[in-house]
Amino acid sequence: MTVSSNDFVAQAAAALQEPERLRTRNALGTHMPAMRSKAAEEFGDYQALRDHVASVRQHALDNLDYYLPQFEQQALDNGNQVHYARTGTELNDIVLTICQRHNARKVAKGKSMVTEETELNHHLESAGLDVVETDLGEYIVQQAGETPSHIVGPALHKPEAEIRELFLEKHPLGPRELEDPPAMVEEARTVLREHFVSADVGIVGANALIAENGYSLLVTNEGNGDLCANLPNILIVCTTMERVLPRASDAAALVRLLTRSTTGQPISCYTSYYSGPRRQDDIDGPLETHFVLLDNKRSDILASDYKDMLQCIRCGACLNHCPVYIGAGGHAYGSVYQGPMGSVLTPLLNSLEESHALPNACTSCGRCAEVCPANIPLPDLLRDLRHEEYRSKLGSGRWRTGMKLHAWLSQNPRVYRFLTGLTIRTLHRLGRRSGGFTRLPFASGWTQERDFPAPQSDTFMHQYSKQDSQDE
Amino acid sequence: MSDARSEILARVRHASRCLPEEEITLALSRLGNGPSATLPHPDMAISFLTNVLKNQGTIAIASNRSEAVTVIGKYLYEHHRSRKLVAGNDARLAALPWRDAGLLPRFGEAESGELAALSYAVAGIAETGSIVTCTGRNNPAANNLLTEDHIVIVALDDLVERYDTALEVLQTARPRGVNIISGPSGTADIAMHMVHGAHGPRRWHVVLLGDVPADYVDQARDLAGLSGKSQAEQLPDTGE
Repeated sequence: MTVSSNDFVAQAAAALQEPERLRTRNALGTHMPAMRSKAAEEFGDYQALRDHVASVRQHALDNLDYYLPQFEQQALDNGNQVHYARTGTELNDIVLTICQRHNARKVAKGKSMVTEETELNHHLESAGLDVVETDLGEYIVQQAGETPSHIVGPALHKPEAEIRELFLEKHPLGPRELEDPPAMVEEARTVLREHFVSADVGIVGANALIAENGYSLLVTNEGNGDLCANLPNILIVCTTMERVLPRASDAAALVRLLTRSTTGQPISCYTSYYSGPRRQDDIDGPLETHFVLLDNKRSDILASDYKDMLQCIRCGACLNHCPVYIGAGGHAYGSVYQGPMGSVLTPLLNSLEESHALPNACTSCGRCAEVCPANIPLPDLLRDLRHEEYRSKLGSGRWRTGMKLHAWLSQNPRVYRFLTGLTIRTLHRLGRRSGGFTRLPFASGWTQERDFPAPQSDTFMHQYSKQDSQDE
Repeated sequence: MSDARSEILARVRHASRCLPEEEITLALSRLGNGPSATLPHPDMAISFLTNVLKNQGTIAIASNRSEAVTVIGKYLYEHHRSRKLVAGNDARLAALPWRDAGLLPRFGEAESGELAALSYAVAGIAETGSIVTCTGRNNPAANNLLTEDHIVIVALDDLVERYDTALEVLQTARPRGVNIISGPSGTADIAMHMVHGAHGPRRWHVVLLGDVPADYVDQARDLAGLSGKSQAEQLPDTGE
């Protein structure tokens, strides 16, 4: 997983200069939260559902030593081959070996963030395979040579006109209008249908693995994942080990929560459960099926104080509700995972050195924790990462000195009150006439964009103690 | 890769609580199944029909098998001016009185380019407005996915209230795959415009078969907020 996360500030500044994309993101940040909250309201006891799924996931993670081997045994009994991969490279090698053993030439892929994390496409393509992303968003991003900007809607950053240009350029279908989204979807449908029918290998992810029966859960709206899982002769499910849930009914509870958090739907168009290869009397389905279970530092996270992060169900709600994500856009994060969940996960899967800018891409507003269906305390985890950043002496010297000064002041309330009181009264006197400042020392970041309003009179603490003594 | 397996499992054991099996199963059973969604109506059939409509499906009711084929014939004629459809090798589908509606079904796996497929659901779910099919001869997965229209018959007796009840089929029948379908194939990946027919069917038509009062359709339409919309556009084939 390559990241350019430490360029967050520069990448975010560039993103803010793209008015059309900013408009799209603002629409996303308005509509998606509205749909989520409507769906949560209509459900009934949504908080009880959240708490139930969180406790089931917690139980599964606490006892992963029991449930992971249970899943493996069930999956083997169902006729699958089960592989473990310590790193992304190992996963990529396992998948390539399977493809080569079957002399595969074309791979049809369903949406899988895990294979984005391992950069599987690049690995397979370097070996001469034709890899086709079939989720429309992933397909658009692949054709454009870009990376996903949102874990659920990978191409939501692209305006309609850009996608039209892309299709006109990439699909050799002669002059045509492609006047609206339905026409573009129609064209992609036709082009991708050919690939589904001719692919040798299908690769999909899994939203959950069910320990009691070895089934994997696949949630999509387009049906592309199901085509990948059913039409090619070889199926490879690439996923991570913390997806394991004890029972089928737990997968049901997860579905109730996942789609409501993601798109505000009570359920997605297709939720499928697959067990393995086709049976003796079957006329459809893959002949050979594989599970590749990736660790990539997840066992470290499991043993760490960041364990709660493994409860993430990849719904994208924290992205849709994050003012920083909406402002900066997904590409600013320089990672496969964006927004609040990405700012926690990226440093844990890579290193804090490479991505310590991300835990700082947070205003601590708390909206992500409010909506997280898995009850992950995201702002707390981000704060802990910032704390670790400071202790590891990352970040600029000036910033660290500022933090040190701030910490000292916070521990010495008298000095703090004296200094803030002095500053506030001075600013009040100086700004009385104009009402604000166009320039201030140490605050150019603010005053470059807008005036700094002059304080009304005195600090809150001073007024409070005055009031207190009057009352007595 | 066996060393990867033992290394990962050792790391997982190190991070887990390593409790005895009895303690784990007891803790799990204490967690229960969690709440399901509130139904839009106390009647399971009305709730099912309402949620199908909310999932952008269209609905029809048929009180017997002859009416079911008539309803399907009408739907096919209105959308495709066609009598053809493909259906899985399901004994319940083979036994329908096809001649009553002059339909010419082909039994087997759907192929790309065919217009309409018919499935006989193993269950319908009121909570989510979904239908359940199992892969295999009765209903190859392609029949759910490759045609323009997907028509599904659900028997009234096969309705269940909760989504997790429908998943019991995983433990009992253990089919290769279970497909739970809740609407036509959809995508909003192009600038958040909802478009149906992304890869799978553009239209999804559910025929509820059984002794269902005729006004259930209107009640479901009211509950789904469709009562003001044109009947012809939303419900091309109520069978009247």
